[in-house]
Amino acid sequence: MIVPFNDPIALVLDRDPISPDLSYWGDVRKRFFRNKLAVAGLTVFFILVLLAIFGPLIWSGDYKNARSGFENFRLFNSKAVFGTDDLGRDMLRRTVRGLGISLRLAAAVTIAVTLLGMVLGGLAGYFGGWIDNVLGRLIDALYAVPYVIIGIAFIAIFGRSFWTVMGTLVFTGWLSTARLFRASVLQVRSQDFIEAARATGAGSKRIILQHVVPNALPPVVVSIAFSIAGAILAESIYSFLAIGFIEPTPALGVMIRQARGNFQAYPHQLFVPASVLILLTLSIVFVGDGLRDALDPKLRGAE
Amino acid sequence: MGSYLLKRLGLTIFVVWAALTFMFVLIELMPGDAVQAKAGEKAVGSAIEANMRAKYGLDKPVIVRYGKYLGNLVQGDLGFSFKNDRSVNTDLKETMKNSLRLLFWGGIVQIGGSLLFGFISAAKKGSWLDKFTTTGSVAIQAIPVFVTGLLAQVLFGVIPVQTFKAQWLNFNFAWPIDGWKLGIFPPNFKAIVLPAIVVGVVQMAFLARLLRSSMLEVLRADYLRTAAAKGLPRRTVLVKHAMRNALIPYVTAAGLALVEIFGIAVQTETVFGIYGIGSKVAEAASIQDGPVVLGLSTVVILAAALVTLLIDFSYSLLDPRIRVGDKVAV
Repeated sequence: MIVPFNDPIALVLDRDPISPDLSYWGDVRKRFFRNKLAVAGLTVFFILVLLAIFGPLIWSGDYKNARSGFENFRLFNSKAVFGTDDLGRDMLRRTVRGLGISLRLAAAVTIAVTLLGMVLGGLAGYFGGWIDNVLGRLIDALYAVPYVIIGIAFIAIFGRSFWTVMGTLVFTGWLSTARLFRASVLQVRSQDFIEAARATGAGSKRIILQHVVPNALPPVVVSIAFSIAGAILAESIYSFLAIGFIEPTPALGVMIRQARGNFQAYPHQLFVPASVLILLTLSIVFVGDGLRDALDPKLRGAE
Repeated sequence: MGSYLLKRLGLTIFVVWAALTFMFVLIELMPGDAVQAKAGEKAVGSAIEANMRAKYGLDKPVIVRYGKYLGNLVQGDLGFSFKNDRSVNTDLKETMKNSLRLLFWGGIVQIGGSLLFGFISAAKKGSWLDKFTTTGSVAIQAIPVFVTGLLAQVLFGVIPVQTFKAQWLNFNFAWPIDGWKLGIFPPNFKAIVLPAIVVGVVQMAFLARLLRSSMLEVLRADYLRTAAAKGLPRRTVLVKHAMRNALIPYVTAAGLALVEIFGIAVQTETVFGIYGIGSKVAEAASIQDGPVVLGLSTVVILAAALVTLLIDFSYSLLDPRIRVGDKVAV
């Protein structure tokens, strides 16, 4: 694209001479879709979401109760495409439901974690002082606590349910989001245009909403993607250690835990939930990685 | 500098205390105590129950028990299990050997691998190896450790033996509960390989990526152009000038990664059936044995705090900028 070198309007607007016709977010979109891995990740993720939504409708039927007189079918059997597990339950039916549990949980956790992290991290970063100190030490202390103890205590106190698992994940998850957003706000706050805004008489509310939040947002977009993956990973770990979901809930971690005892004889019982889990988290992480590159203003306009 | 170290020490002690208190409160809030766990469904006479409560100190108010928990901790007593009365100190003594060995070899994988991959991928930026490292390091962090562990057992244990009858490719061996003496090289070294890689690989990937980006940042600096312009060989420039400076952020991150390895060890030890601190915690958690989880978690927190402090101190010795002003580091 040819750009007049001394275009006065371009100079005034401080446009990037390489892609002058694009806004920041337009440029981000363009660069994101140029990243093949990220696009592949997005595609796989959409397919998995569709499977989680429509899978239980297509492969309806019993998925919870053990069947007596079963045989452990191998993969691609005409009766059960992904075979059955050691209790004779259809693996495909369980897997699509497990996918749904993971996604629903991850969505709920990510929304809560992002809001909580943004509010608390934002307060600490913007106001500093004792708020920052108290929150900082609180986060340090909670970071030090091993996740296992939080898992068992929450289950014992609140009982085993979707909401308990969600609560545990939110409780351990907001720490990193808060830290990230605090750092991001701190960086934006120290810049000249904030001082300029204050000099023109803008109040705290206006500065925060109009200037700080939009500029501190890009890292949060990336952290949303990684929060989704992190929540799915954490849920599977909790379930695997029996401090999250337990049988007969068809969560992916539960299925892998169940497969542990007999993957020597029936490896597909491990492979099916493990590969779905890996596919899911990988697709999200590659999207997040693509977003991180696309949102980085230093790489703007770079090929 | 002294004031800086004192400040760090004070902060660490405060954070450790806050974490321990939080854990104590969590365990206190859990319904059911030693007496209920013992009595089970059976109806126990109120006199016996009162006796048992007195024996375990459960008749005292929470604040007294909290003081006792901290007091015992200072004297090195970690408490006992509600389920089988065993002392947590015994559990710790038994499980520590295996965990330390796993940590040692995991640390070697973590540090060695990240230095190697990070350095090569920064030195040969844009090569296929660089692309493999950067993509792989993203990917490996998306796979839960217990899945990596199980898949490793299948690929380097079950499949070679069952399908190819290749015994030499079998790395799937059980760790003896107490059969190995504490030494760096145990008799059956093959048993170490898979757990060490599984426990170290996630942080290895993270550290390699970190080293790569900090190397690339340093490589852009003027003094490196000067070094190259002086006619120094590329290797000298990379190792002596770039690597050394890139290592400063790496050291902090590597120390923190060493601290985080415990969370990973819980899964690794469980998956490989290693009798260690992590698997003990997981086992106690699955049967809701609060005090054991509390006691062992306490040890982990203390160890982690110690490592963090040591890193902080050595770091302030290494980097003069931190010694001068407290503002840089805190």
